[in-house]
Amino acid sequence: MSNIIETEGLSKQYGNIYRVKDVDLKVPEGAIYGFLGPNGAGKSTTLKMILGLAKPTEGEIAVFGKRVNSKNRLENLKNVGSLIESPSYYGHLTGEENLRIFQTLRGVPKQNITEVLKIVRLENQQSKKVSQYSLGMKQRLGLASALLGYPRLLILDEPTNGLDPAGIQEMRELIQSLPQKFGMTVVVSSHLLSEIDQLATRVGIIREGELVYQDSLTKLHQYSKQHLAVRTMNNEVTKSFLSQNGVAWEAEDDYLIIPQMKDTMMAEISKALGQNNIGLVRIEERKKSLEDIFLELTGTAVSL
Amino acid sequence: MSAAIGMEVLKTKGRKIWLVVAVMMAVQLLWAGWAISNKDANDLAQGWLFFLYQFPMLNCIIMPVIAAVVASRLSDVEHKGQTFKLLETIIPAQRIFAAKFIWGSIYMLGAALGQLAIMIGMGFVLHFGGPVPWSALAGYLFFTLVVSLTIYIFQQGVSMLVANQMVPMTLGLVGGFIGLFSMFFPQGLQKLILWSYYGVLMQVGMNWDEATRATDFYWTAIDWSGLGLILVFFVLIYGIGRILFVRKEV
Ligand SMILES: Nc1ncnc2c1ncn2[C@@H]1O[C@H](COP(=O)(O)OP(=O)(O)O)[C@@H](O)[C@H]1O
Ligand SMILES: [Mg+2]
Repeated sequence: MSNIIETEGLSKQYGNIYRVKDVDLKVPEGAIYGFLGPNGAGKSTTLKMILGLAKPTEGEIAVFGKRVNSKNRLENLKNVGSLIESPSYYGHLTGEENLRIFQTLRGVPKQNITEVLKIVRLENQQSKKVSQYSLGMKQRLGLASALLGYPRLLILDEPTNGLDPAGIQEMRELIQSLPQKFGMTVVVSSHLLSEIDQLATRVGIIREGELVYQDSLTKLHQYSKQHLAVRTMNNEVTKSFLSQNGVAWEAEDDYLIIPQMKDTMMAEISKALGQNNIGLVRIEERKKSLEDIFLELTGTAVSL
Repeated sequence: MSAAIGMEVLKTKGRKIWLVVAVMMAVQLLWAGWAISNKDANDLAQGWLFFLYQFPMLNCIIMPVIAAVVASRLSDVEHKGQTFKLLETIIPAQRIFAAKFIWGSIYMLGAALGQLAIMIGMGFVLHFGGPVPWSALAGYLFFTLVVSLTIYIFQQGVSMLVANQMVPMTLGLVGGFIGLFSMFFPQGLQKLILWSYYGVLMQVGMNWDEATRATDFYWTAIDWSGLGLILVFFVLIYGIGRILFVRKEV
C-alpha cells in the first residue's frame, strides 16, 4: 500500500517551543485517516504545513510520493482539497458565487459547482448570502469548496467543530461516503475520540506536538482487551516475582495489571504464588475502554 | 492572472466601492465650484493654473482617503471570511497580491480621470482664459496616478497584512493630514513623505501679493528627481508588501 502523505521528522517551532515535533505521518491511499488529539496538540499546525500554509522548522513532506517544495507545491495541491480550522467564505456573496470564485481559480469545469452543491445538499440555499448561512451550512459550503476539483486527497480539519448532533451526523455520513464514491483519501482531524472511532479506518494520535500512536483503528481497539488485573495478599512481593519472570506489570489501586496471557501461563503464576504463600485473591479480565487508552496516550480526559 | 482579477471584481459585488469614489468626486466638484465662484473675470483668465494648483493640494487628503477605503474594502472580506488560507492553496500568494493591486488601481484611475473631467468641464463652462493646457493636464493625470498608486500600494500592503482595518484607515488619514501640512516642511523632509508628493509634483506655483491681496499663478519646472524618488518608493513598497504577504503564515 502506498502512502498519499508521508512526513518525516516534521517539526514546527513557534517562539522557542516546538508545537509539532518529529511527526512521521503516514496516510495510506484510500484511508480515512483520523488525526486525533486534544485542543492545542498541533493538529492544525501539522495540516497547515502539509498544505504549505505554514513553513516547517524541520522535516520533509511528501504528497502523492513527491517531496513537496515551494516550486511544486501548488501543482501538487491541484489534487488536494482542504478545509482548515473554519470554513473560508465571502459572507456578502451567495453560496454559488463563493464556489464560482474557487472553481474559476482552480480552473475546473463550471458544472462541478452544481455537483458539489448537490453532494453537500446546499442546492436549495445556493442563492442565499453566505452570511445568512448557519454554521453547519457554512461548514458544508467549506466541504463543497474542498470537493470542487474532485481531489485525490481531502484534508478536513475539525469539520464537525461547533455543529449540533444532527449536523455532526450529516457531516460524518458525507465524509464516510467519499472514499467509495470518488476514490478519495481523507484526512480528518478531531479532538473527539468518539468521532474518529466512528469515522476513521486509520488513526494518528498527537499529544503536545508528538505523534504517540499511529495504526489502524482495529489495532487500537485490540489494545483495549489485552489486560488482566490480579490482586494478591502481597502485591509488593508479587511485583518482584513478576519482574523476575519477565512479566510486565503496572500497579493500579489494589491491582496489578498484566498482559493477557494463556491459561497455562496464568495457572503457573498462580501455582508459583501459592508456593510462596502469597494468596491470589482476584483475577479479572479488564477491558480498557478506548477512552482509557486515549487518556493514557494523550494525558487528557476524553471530551465527548 | 485574468481569472484572479476577474474574481476580485466579483468579490466587490454590492460593496459600493465606486460609490465611495463618486462621493469623493462630488466633494471635489463642490469644493472646486465654491473656490471658483468668488473669482472675478481677471482670475478666471488664470483658471487652468488655479485648478492645477488647487487640485493637487486637495488631493493630499482626498486621494489618501480613497486609497485607504478601496484597499480596505478589497481586503476586509478576506480577513472576515478567513479566505487567504484557502486561496493560497489554489493560486500563488504573489498573484493574489498583484490581482488586488491591479483591480484597486482601476478605482484610483477612475478617481484621477474624474478629477480631470471636473477640471475640463468647469474650464469649458466658465470659459477659462487661453488655450486648454492639454499637456499640463496629461501631466496632472500622470503625476496624480503615480503618487496615488504609491499611496494605494502602501494601503493595500497594510490592509492585507493586518486584519483590523482600523489600522490602515488611521494610517491613511494621518498620512493625508501630514501631506496637507507638508507644504510648510523643508524640501528634504517633504520628499521623505509619500503623502506630500502631490505638492512636490505640482506644475504650478503661486505668488501672493500682500499689498494688493492678489494672487498670481505661474508654471513651474517639473521636479524630475521627485518623480524618480516616488517611483523608487513605489517599487520598494510593492516589493516589501509582497514579500511580507507571501511569507505570512495563515
Ligand atoms: N501562529 C502561531 N503562533 C504561535 N503559536 C501558535 C500559532 N499557531 C498555533 N500555535 C500554538 O501551537 C499549538 C498547536 O496549535 P494547533 O495546531 O492549532 O492545535 P490543534 O489544531 O491541535 O488544536 C497551540 O499551543 C497554539 O497556541
Ligand atoms: Mg485546530
